[in-house]
Amino acid sequence: MSTPTLPHTPAKIKAETKNFNFYYGDFHALKNINIQLGENQVTALIGPSGCGKSTLLRSFNRMHDLYAGNRYEGELILHPDDTNLIDPRVDPIEVRMRLSMVFQKPNPFPKSIYENVIYGQRVRGVKNRSILDDKVEEALTNAALWNEVKHRLNDMAFALSGGQQQRLCIARALATDPEVLLFDEPTSALDPIATASIEELIGELKEKVTILIVTHNMQQAARVSDYTAYMYLGEMVEFGVTDEIFIKPKDKRTEDYITGRFG
Amino acid sequence: MNTHSSSQFDADLDAVRAQLTQMGGLIEEQLKDAIRIITTHDQASVEQIIRNDKAVDALEIEIDDACLHLIARRQPTAVDLRLIMAIVKAVKDMERIGDEAKKIAKAVRKINERGLIGGQASEVDLRHLGDQVTPMVHDVLDAFVRSDADLALSVMRKDRDIDNLFRGCVRQLVTFMMEDPRTISTALDLVFVAKSLERIGDHAKNIAESVIFIAQGRDVRHMGDAALEG
Amino acid sequence: MSLPPEEIAAIRANIASRKTNDLIFATIGICCLGFALITIAALFVDMAVTGWARFRPEFFTEFPSRRAAQAGILSAWVGSLLVMTVTAMVAIPLGVAAGVWLEEYAPKHWITDVIEININNLAGVPSIVFGLLALGLFVYTFGLGQSVRTAGLTLALLILPVVIVATREAIRSIPLMVREASFGLGATKWQTTRDHIVPYSMPGILTGIILGMSRAIGETAPIITIGALTFIAFLPPAPITDVAPFISFEWLKAPFTVMPIQIFNWTSRPDPAFHANAAAAGAILVAMTLSMNALAIYLRFRLRRNIKW
Repeated sequence: MSTPTLPHTPAKIKAETKNFNFYYGDFHALKNINIQLGENQVTALIGPSGCGKSTLLRSFNRMHDLYAGNRYEGELILHPDDTNLIDPRVDPIEVRMRLSMVFQKPNPFPKSIYENVIYGQRVRGVKNRSILDDKVEEALTNAALWNEVKHRLNDMAFALSGGQQQRLCIARALATDPEVLLFDEPTSALDPIATASIEELIGELKEKVTILIVTHNMQQAARVSDYTAYMYLGEMVEFGVTDEIFIKPKDKRTEDYITGRFG
Repeated sequence: MNTHSSSQFDADLDAVRAQLTQMGGLIEEQLKDAIRIITTHDQASVEQIIRNDKAVDALEIEIDDACLHLIARRQPTAVDLRLIMAIVKAVKDMERIGDEAKKIAKAVRKINERGLIGGQASEVDLRHLGDQVTPMVHDVLDAFVRSDADLALSVMRKDRDIDNLFRGCVRQLVTFMMEDPRTISTALDLVFVAKSLERIGDHAKNIAESVIFIAQGRDVRHMGDAALEG
Repeated sequence: MSLPPEEIAAIRANIASRKTNDLIFATIGICCLGFALITIAALFVDMAVTGWARFRPEFFTEFPSRRAAQAGILSAWVGSLLVMTVTAMVAIPLGVAAGVWLEEYAPKHWITDVIEININNLAGVPSIVFGLLALGLFVYTFGLGQSVRTAGLTLALLILPVVIVATREAIRSIPLMVREASFGLGATKWQTTRDHIVPYSMPGILTGIILGMSRAIGETAPIITIGALTFIAFLPPAPITDVAPFISFEWLKAPFTVMPIQIFNWTSRPDPAFHANAAAAGAILVAMTLSMNALAIYLRFRLRRNIKW
């Protein structure tokens, strides 16, 4: 194939977990996770419902801090400055300014398209109109939405179709210039056409940013990712190059899951 | 064909097509050389053909692997699925064509080692047979790249002519052998060459069937000629 | 598989018999609704008819009088308006802020649980009790007098639980994902509250406020308890004056009356002519309440137009 074969572990690591554990109260939700996100690569997390893939993703931008009783253990390192993102001394706001998230369902704010895209800059206190205008254009262009909305930036975000709303949310996440983009089942509420356009977009975005994506849809993981991790019951069963996982997985549990022989 | 909404899929398919074209070019070259040496007995070309077959084999493995990856990552459906299935099968046939070319080269090498005893007349006939087979292979590879069912159909029709020519060659060689037993070993080698050429025609026909399957979704294997025209 | 005709007939009979229950319940429901609506309509029509002769412009511009035909509700509706203003100015910021704090900031432990239970219970406390509390606290302890401000504060207390509960309910109806989207972009708690939580819950909060106000405007018991006057022939001082600083808060300290008290006063007169006055004022009070509810519905519809979840 034209794409060069990837090494078994990413060559240049942007973020990684080391013996990472997570607890919801007493429930041990993630057990000793070790995963590396290759820079400018797409890493997919797959596994049955409740396996902890979303929990792992949400750890990357400290979403769990919003709710009481959650606890992290181990390390979650962002390179090249080697910041431990789950260190209590690191402000979750700093983490969220460096890693952006796109959610399961399109969740634009009930505001204009413009205000949606720019909100991440607004919270930083940016007020200069021309900077904001440039950001909006850049982010919407990168999210492949600019041409569709450039003449109606002041329309409400809800006037857009589902797929456009999700691309708007991607633009909103991009407008903060994140180092890592986290996708939590970004197409689970979209039709196949919109899904295809989001998948295509993910392929383009990895040129600019490192991507971690959680998906229920194994085929989606196969289509968009460079590396895939299979998780089961809070453990990472197998992590490797996507082609290898889908052609000859090493672990029997991975094979059973991806071939639909699960459970 | 329209482009996919996934441009990566298109890129991957194009890459496989390019490899396929490369392999096609290589086996056409091999075939032409093999047919040339039936009459010229050029020893350097014999060795060249045998060496080049390794490249054909390597391409077969490469393309198979690429198809495996495509199926695993893109879950092709409909025309894409038919195309990839057909590629996998066509590659097998192309590799066999390469093998037959190598067999011809080896037969020529044996004849060269022993020295040609009789059979010059047959060589000309064999060359004629080869000259019929070469365009078949060329056309079918062309038809494959362009998904041209009409061209593929014409290739399938030609296979009957090849079979007739093959029988004629064999009959002639049998006559030589009966007339002069000294020619037997040479004649036998030439029978193998004829058989190889006939097999190449069969492989071309198989590929043609795949082309029709891609283009029309119609499985025309093991059908009578009447059904073919339908 | 195909069913024999008699079984198909049986299925149809079965459906028909079950659907009879639908019909029975629908009939009962419509009767109940009709009964309630007719009662209210009858009451309103009766008041409007009885007080018909009083519906003249002068009715709104005259002070109460010993002569029924000349008596008006000027001091009563102005009083109601002023008291409501004070109530709104106190109850809205307090209620919304308390609701937002409870929902967004309060740590979840037993103290907040106790507070929560108490707020819900407070909404059910009889209004006379609030009147007693206000009499002791505002009138005697703080010495605020039997004034507009005391009445406003009392009614504010009365509707505070309604505003808090409405605020919390409105906030809870905002999807978790919208909140997470804001935090996900690096917003602080205050930025999330200011930019998203409060604006998006505004329709619900406004509805709660207006429903609370329309309850307060009809309250009589606590107002009587704190000692509203029943006969007032003057207006409180105007809030705008011709001497600097041009704004006066003297009206807050003025004695007052309100619509329900005026009505109560008139109905207790022996002269039936005053009863017509009471009926007319009553109809006006009902109309005021209904129009406030209508405003609530309109605002809710208007503000919710851009919010789809």
